[in-house]
Amino acid sequence: MAVQSDESTNLVGARVKRTEDGRLLTGRGQFVDDLVLPRMLEAAVLRSPHAHARIVGVDASAALAMEGVFGVLTGADIADEVEPQPVIYHVLPDQRATDTRAIATDRVRWVGQIVAAVVARDRYVAEDALAAIVVDYEPLPVVANLDAALAADAPRLYDDWPDNVVGNIEWSNGDADAAIAGADAVVARRMSVGRLLGCPLEPRGCVASWDPFTDDLDIWMSTQSPNLARDLLGETLRLPGHRIRVRVPDVGGGFGNKFDFYPEEIIASLLSKRCGRPVKLLEDRAESFVATGQSREVVIEATMAAKADGTIVALKAEVRTVCGGALGTVGVGPGWLSATMMTGVYKIPNVDVRLSPVLTNRAPMGSFRGWGQPEANFVNERLIELLAEELGIERNEMRRRNFPAPEEFPYETGVVFTYDSGQYGQCLDLCQDSVRESGWPQRLEAARAEGRSVGIGYGFHVEATAFGPSRILNLVGLNHSGFDEAVVRIDSTGRVTAFTGQVAMGQGIETALAQLTAQTMGVALQDVVVVSGDTATCPYTGYGTGASRGAAMGGASLMRATELLREKVKRIAAYQLEAAPEDLEIHNGRISVRGTPSIGVTLAEIGNAAYRRLSDFPADEDATLEERYVFDPENLAWSYGCTAALVEVDRRTGVTQVLDYVIAHDCGTVINPMIVDGQIHGGATQGIGEALYEELVYDDQGGLTTTSFADYTLPSACEVPRFTLHHMDTPAPHIPGGMKGMGEAGTIGGPAAIANAVDQALADIGVEVRAIPITPPRLLDMIETATREGGRS
Amino acid sequence: MKPAPFDFVAATSVAEAVALLGERDDARVIAGGQSLMQLLNFRTAQPGTLVDVNRIVGLDGVRRDGDFLAVGALTRHAALEAHPVAREQLPPLAEVIPYIGYAAVRHRGTIGGSFAYGAPYAELPLVAVTLGGEVIVEGAEGRRTIPIEEFFLGHLETAVGPQELVVEVRFRLPAAEAGFGFREIAPRRHDYAIASAAALVQLDSSGAVGSARIGVGSAHPTPIRVNTAEETLIGRRPDAVALAEAGQAAAAAIEPLGATEADRTYRRRVVAVMVQDALAQAIERSREAGS
Repeated sequence: MAVQSDESTNLVGARVKRTEDGRLLTGRGQFVDDLVLPRMLEAAVLRSPHAHARIVGVDASAALAMEGVFGVLTGADIADEVEPQPVIYHVLPDQRATDTRAIATDRVRWVGQIVAAVVARDRYVAEDALAAIVVDYEPLPVVANLDAALAADAPRLYDDWPDNVVGNIEWSNGDADAAIAGADAVVARRMSVGRLLGCPLEPRGCVASWDPFTDDLDIWMSTQSPNLARDLLGETLRLPGHRIRVRVPDVGGGFGNKFDFYPEEIIASLLSKRCGRPVKLLEDRAESFVATGQSREVVIEATMAAKADGTIVALKAEVRTVCGGALGTVGVGPGWLSATMMTGVYKIPNVDVRLSPVLTNRAPMGSFRGWGQPEANFVNERLIELLAEELGIERNEMRRRNFPAPEEFPYETGVVFTYDSGQYGQCLDLCQDSVRESGWPQRLEAARAEGRSVGIGYGFHVEATAFGPSRILNLVGLNHSGFDEAVVRIDSTGRVTAFTGQVAMGQGIETALAQLTAQTMGVALQDVVVVSGDTATCPYTGYGTGASRGAAMGGASLMRATELLREKVKRIAAYQLEAAPEDLEIHNGRISVRGTPSIGVTLAEIGNAAYRRLSDFPADEDATLEERYVFDPENLAWSYGCTAALVEVDRRTGVTQVLDYVIAHDCGTVINPMIVDGQIHGGATQGIGEALYEELVYDDQGGLTTTSFADYTLPSACEVPRFTLHHMDTPAPHIPGGMKGMGEAGTIGGPAAIANAVDQALADIGVEVRAIPITPPRLLDMIETATREGGRS
Repeated sequence: MKPAPFDFVAATSVAEAVALLGERDDARVIAGGQSLMQLLNFRTAQPGTLVDVNRIVGLDGVRRDGDFLAVGALTRHAALEAHPVAREQLPPLAEVIPYIGYAAVRHRGTIGGSFAYGAPYAELPLVAVTLGGEVIVEGAEGRRTIPIEEFFLGHLETAVGPQELVVEVRFRLPAAEAGFGFREIAPRRHDYAIASAAALVQLDSSGAVGSARIGVGSAHPTPIRVNTAEETLIGRRPDAVALAEAGQAAAAAIEPLGATEADRTYRRRVVAVMVQDALAQAIERSREAGS
């Protein structure tokens, strides 16, 4: 379903420079910390130094006595005033609750959990006061990791739970055990993915202003999901929706972290209510390591089996997500997506997948770009290569033999999902051709001749985007919707304002949606402005700006609304020109009779008529020019791609360097290739980080040892290669405009490709990567062990 | 991440700075602030007074002084890297300085601050330990010269007294025939190193090792010269086996830093590799210098 337009200038698909960049790059952005309200105070929170402890008492008297301190909030203060922090995903039939309020009331379950908050003249004083609060803790035995959580005599995080397991769910299709028993080759592995933190340049923050007379809560948040935030603020604070207005200033990156709903938003609101003054509460970088939702950590035991000809016959997997001390906003949603996407891009007739997330005394898990998909992809794409090797089939040939063919779509995976469309073989060809054209095979041979350890790895992925059909989301356990509402208005000067529920967070949505609207309406790009980030004036989007929804969902509804408005414009023009609407076309803001361009009227004239000169306006039309559309998709849109990595391993130090990187990708209609490139570059960088550099490391007492960017090593420009990208653009069959999302692509396909490349680089000694990140100490250990054991040859 | 309250005084002369350090309780010197500001913001350090030395005229500068290259304490890393006298007299400095943090850090951070802080991963202290050198400090009693061998006492601990100010760092200039080598391994290009090594080697006319000085940084509580590794090389042809043995000797000589056994084991392993590679580079250059 391509973009329908009279316009021939093809704004959709053009590498238009982002209109927001000049402002952002010259420091004109207005982020939440730039916001200063009259009489505003600043808050800071006290965080638990213990991973597991009972709170015996909190003495804030010294803090309250300090000059410049306006108030202190403890768990006891809020216990009756707020509901527990909301969890919107209930995907396990027997899912247990971890009802935890914004401030811990009687017990802390992770290092960093909030135990008190101070509001003061400024942040300096607030932090001075935090140091004066005395909390009496009675330490409890710590559940430091997955094995500790599952031990028979493990301490329980919640006394009324029988163990530390959040719940269980299983999906079965066919008979996996029988198929495995009858297979010609079987590989079974236990693989693990480390704990990660999405790290937007701007940490989280909010400014809350609670009017004590009207009970109106005005809150500015650095968030990806203002509508969801308003609903959850209302639920938690027991306020009706019309009293809450969420506004979103410029957002310095989100990465899913800012999709979730956090305690600080509740705390700032309550502090403002108590003081009768606006309160700013920012998370600083040091706090972010324990305060922002963590992600990924999972252990997956999986078995894949195939016939001698390479046909995969079965997949079994047990997914154990290592949750923290409470469920976050998205609960075990990412683990659910890992489990349901274990089959990846392959036709697997017999499947048995189980999910049983487990609590530990670590910080809660939340959303992060990729959201369960990188974990599944890492395991799936490693297993197929191991199976290929076992069978002596070239790895990409093995992939090809198991792809659904283009004519087999829509393709039901057997576990929840139906992939809408795909030309996987063509995408793999594109990637392999690029690898050949870039001379990787020759580089590999040359490096090996010099005694260097170089390898090429591939990873093929699908990405769940355009999330998603509201009723189905509700059925699987999401207590929220997935539709998108859009409003388009033409003003009295004939210019276009597009109102969206999507949020700009640096990803380029302002430009992309403007391109789509301009093209659909038939006006110039500068004649469209996109307004977003205000629950009082902008439409409602279900979910938020996450799950790769921005262009596909936000774009589809905006396009449809624009089409409706275009029809109204044509009816008005037809009245004025005494022509039939179907004979009219709109080019560059002028409506004219097709084939007779001299007979026409401008959009400015139509706008003037609609608002100010109704004497030129048809009697049977309402004054003003505005249309609204709600789009609720029938399915997700499944993007896909193939990643190839060329890596070099230094066998003496265990250091892996990514030398070159190719991604071939299909995200349907591409609105702006430059924006898509940027998104994929960013995601791929995070994929490289996930594979090689980034890990939140906890010690055996539940203490986080990686608490700054000196320890949590994000890849920098020096560690990242140039990316070569190839786009396919097969329109999504069920999305107006044909767009599929692609925001998460790079994070999903990277880890498996890099791990497969490392395996190839060290094939002579038989190193096999089973855990990411592949840190130098880990890899050096594996190299030394493999060397000692004599390797494969 | 806001510092606890402190007083701030900007000194305009070394004498004034030293006097302030004597008068004020719990005073600390701030120069480039590239380490101290982090400690303040994390409230790890909560000094009563910060004595700012940035406005002291004449505390920076680079000159040759006999067998030494003398560098004023307030000299910024970037200025030292670019300084013509330093580049001519002691090329290893310009080779090593790019490994210090990133450009912004090098434009603010000072030589004196780096030595006074005593971080084991700091590159220039490692160079001084390897080449030889001394640090001049000034206190109420006047100036004193501390040989580099006596300067670094422990992890983040130096021989500078609480009321003393580092005023100059002096690097011993190597013989023209000596070759210098340096290697470090870090998680990312601009990170603190996990292990670093510097070597200064002079070959005799037969091609055997005449003299060798080997320093290791980042892996041990202080930058450390490893005599045991040097001794394995003297009088020996510097082949791969000899270099590997020197690397092993260096690895055995350190008490590796690291929170876990795995960290410590890894540091020992890569110290051996860094020493080996720094030596190989030094030897290659010594050969070039001798031919």
